[in-house]
Amino acid sequence: MPYINYDKQEIAFKIVYFGPGMSGKTTNLIKIHEILDPQKCSEMVVLDTEEERTLFFDFLPFDLGSICGFSVRFNMYTVPGQVQYEASRKLILDGADGVVFVADSHPSKREENLLSYQMMTENFVSHGFDPVTYPLVLQFNKRDLDQVMNISEMNASLNKGGHKTFEAVALKGQGVIETIKEVSKQIVTRFEI
Amino acid sequence: MQVHHNAKEALDKLVNDSECITALLISREGVSIEESGNTGYLNTTALAALIAGMFTATREVARMVGEEHFSILLQQGTNRHIHISLINETVMMVIIFEDYQRIGKVRYEAKKASEVIANIMQPEPEASVEKLNVAGFREYALNLIDRIFDKPQG
Ligand SMILES: Nc1nc2c(ncn2[C@@H]2O[C@H](COP(=O)(O)OP(=O)(O)O)[C@@H](O)[C@H]2O)c(=O)[nH]1
Ligand SMILES: [Mg+2]
Repeated sequence: MPYINYDKQEIAFKIVYFGPGMSGKTTNLIKIHEILDPQKCSEMVVLDTEEERTLFFDFLPFDLGSICGFSVRFNMYTVPGQVQYEASRKLILDGADGVVFVADSHPSKREENLLSYQMMTENFVSHGFDPVTYPLVLQFNKRDLDQVMNISEMNASLNKGGHKTFEAVALKGQGVIETIKEVSKQIVTRFEI
Repeated sequence: MQVHHNAKEALDKLVNDSECITALLISREGVSIEESGNTGYLNTTALAALIAGMFTATREVARMVGEEHFSILLQQGTNRHIHISLINETVMMVIIFEDYQRIGKVRYEAKKASEVIANIMQPEPEASVEKLNVAGFREYALNLIDRIFDKPQG
């Protein structure tokens, strides 16, 4: 359920980038910020930098424009990857209208991806999200690495729900826009009052 | 949830009476609902998102020590200080002020304004819900998403 203010005619949807630490969540937001019309993205807040991995999110607001008299915005957040922040991860999914799961394609990250994915689905359950209809897109990132897992293998482990997936090289901006576009459309399609 | 115009008036009065620099109402989702006082120096969009995040983290800390929530958060800086309080389940009030000597006054005015604003906030009346045509909204939004996200990639 998005935030709706009838008085000011505003609607804000919340999109959360979930995934293990270092999978490329922050990079996704940085690239969206770079690629899209700068007038539509206001300032980005990056808290989860290489030096400060303990802090709890990045934030990027994106103004879609005016629809039926309402100004519509997507607020994008990332969650920290570290397992010890389970509590804040859960809280950040609070009120999320859709989620992008960013997986790392390197074979050594198989376990971490799975652990994070399981944590996400547990959080879905605790928030009462229906895992089948809830807007969710999977991004298999870092396809540029020398060693990557097969897409079929990644699907088998992370995509039992048959959600839409995108291959990405977030660092080069590849697959980033396709991903955000898809999750936005799923969110809007499901939008009700 | 509907935030009445009077919430803005209550916020203006708070700024005036407490002599703070800025006062804001922020939703739990991290959206700035109302602003009063000087906001020119502030990125209120980012501030709202960060404070909401801070508050959720603090709520979890409260639970760890056996509290439902902490109703007031105070951040003391060198020159500027922030007083954050809960209006209700979904709305927070943020006050930015300079003279720390005035903390008592800020706290007192915050409490007064909180009560007024909590009373003003009403469930959404039926009439304004009808203002938004959901099917039309979806169709237009989907088109807009196509246009915006297809463009930058050529
Ligand atoms: N090779 C490669 N590295 C990437 C890619 N995307 C992100 N990275 C790198 O992976 C590291 C972690 O990225 P970051 O976005 O901070 O991950 P986060 O912890 O999920 O926010 C950084 O050094 C990025 O430059 C990619 O597509 N390919
Ligand atoms: Mg990050």
